[in-house]
Amino acid sequence: MIRQHLPALQVILPLLAAPTCLLLRRAGLAWLFATVVGFATFAIAILLLRQVLSQGDIAYAMGGWSAPWGIQYYVDPVSALVLLIVSGISAVVLPYAARSVAQEIPSERRCVFYTLFLLCLAGMLGIAITGDAFNLFVFLEISSLSSYALISMGQDRRALTSSYQYLIMGTIGATFILIGVGLLYVMTGTLNMQDLAQRLPAVATTRTIHTAFAFLVVGLSLKLALFPLHLWLPNAYTFAPSVVTTFLAATATKVALYALLRFVFTIFGAEYAFNTMPLGPTLLLLALLGLFVASAVAIFQENIKRILAYSSVAQIGYMILGISFATVTGVSAGILHLFNHALMKGALFMAVGAIFLRTGSMQLQHLAGIGRRMPWTMAAVVIGGLSLIGVPLTVGFISKWYLIQAALERGWWPVAVLVLIGSLLALVYVWRILEAAYFDAPAKPDAHIKEAPLSLLIPTWALVLANIYFGIDTSLTVGVARQAAGLLLGVQP
Amino acid sequence: MVALNDYLILGAILFALSVMGIVLNRKNVVILLMSIELMLLAVNMNFVAFSHYLGDTAGQVFVFFILTVAAAEASIGLAILIVLFRNRQTINVEDLDSLKG
Repeated sequence: MIRQHLPALQVILPLLAAPTCLLLRRAGLAWLFATVVGFATFAIAILLLRQVLSQGDIAYAMGGWSAPWGIQYYVDPVSALVLLIVSGISAVVLPYAARSVAQEIPSERRCVFYTLFLLCLAGMLGIAITGDAFNLFVFLEISSLSSYALISMGQDRRALTSSYQYLIMGTIGATFILIGVGLLYVMTGTLNMQDLAQRLPAVATTRTIHTAFAFLVVGLSLKLALFPLHLWLPNAYTFAPSVVTTFLAATATKVALYALLRFVFTIFGAEYAFNTMPLGPTLLLLALLGLFVASAVAIFQENIKRILAYSSVAQIGYMILGISFATVTGVSAGILHLFNHALMKGALFMAVGAIFLRTGSMQLQHLAGIGRRMPWTMAAVVIGGLSLIGVPLTVGFISKWYLIQAALERGWWPVAVLVLIGSLLALVYVWRILEAAYFDAPAKPDAHIKEAPLSLLIPTWALVLANIYFGIDTSLTVGVARQAAGLLLGVQP
Repeated sequence: MVALNDYLILGAILFALSVMGIVLNRKNVVILLMSIELMLLAVNMNFVAFSHYLGDTAGQVFVFFILTVAAAEASIGLAILIVLFRNRQTINVEDLDSLKG
């Protein structure tokens, strides 16, 4: 009975839990409740993935209204993987949140914080599971609106300005998506993704559909912070509270990327997007530019959160690069990196949050000698950093490996070389963090800085170990990513 | 009889105005917010016109959702602006542009 309604529960559970958090009125209780909900959604996501892998796609009619009239939830391997990573990150971040939130957010706002967090989670899960284009927009707005509020809770005053900047850019992105959806609706009279995919070829050559495609791609690129449209991201990540940065860095852009995959491959189809419209070369160029510019900017930052934020922009370049190949290997490399990057950035931002808890600073110069004071936290940064560079035995290596393989498959060896050079740039900015932490002598001996508490270390290390585990045993991730890519491109794997 | 085209042209004009408001505006952040609301209204206009000419009321239902989203957007934006104003006593774009570091 319950198994049958898992797709609905996946979204409804956090959505209903969010206002309940507000009613609990005690921060401790709200945290406990939110954590339980986080783990429950993670469990549901695991069950859904297993069900999808063993029995095939699940179509769920919301409220019993069948597809063309009601909203349909549709779970295939791509969405199941995104559901897994989003709910998994939330299940790791919530136990971590207790200490970090207690320090960074005033007590009267903590209940609101958990409410917003769960709303954001519900929105992201909704985007990943829905089979309806307009519903996707609504969930996108639920998650974005709550993340604007979450970012503005940062201690630094500039959190407000950066949140406002994100609000403006995010809303423009959402409006563009909406315009695209509206144009699709007028041409086909439907918003169900599968119906759209069926009816679009008949009208695909009209200028309206070309416009819709352009609006959708630009709007989603704004949301996923593709290179020239990434301006909101570094500020938002730098000034948000640590927990929010971790959660958003690991999930928000990934979910937007998933939405792009859905629109480009499921609705428009690879044939239309890459042959009729010049999506391939555009994405390839922007991805490579983003990779280099963002990595180069990251090298010259003094704030450790900003370094990682710019590195996120660069890593999004890798994902988009994989997608721009439009081959099974390329798209699966993109999906793999989507999953893997969530793991590494999650681990890194959590470790950085732990450092902030103890030192109260994000500036590189204040981190001098921190490696000796907080050995376990810095060890997490080291492994996360290695993963970012793409050293073997970490997840970063797996995604780069497939990316390079995909480039060589297409015969684009210069692209493969550029990917390797991009990794070298990552080496430089990761090295700057490690140099400050291990080799610089502290300006004044701070004896009071000690190792981060276990409640922060355990979740951080859970993600670090996941980085290593999925770097060695790739059967789950690579298998699902290949199946997903085959499905998106309409090829049997 | 007003044709679908006329509505779409009006929508396009509203949209262009709002984009200009965002791009040209260098002074006031409230105008940024207003421009964005105008952009959403232009989209709403399209949706209503489409749904009327398609004879499908679903489009008009969507408009209610979009209005809700726009209201939430504006309230969050204004809330941020009020806190900002309390902190800084100004809402000029240039004065707020101190995000470096």
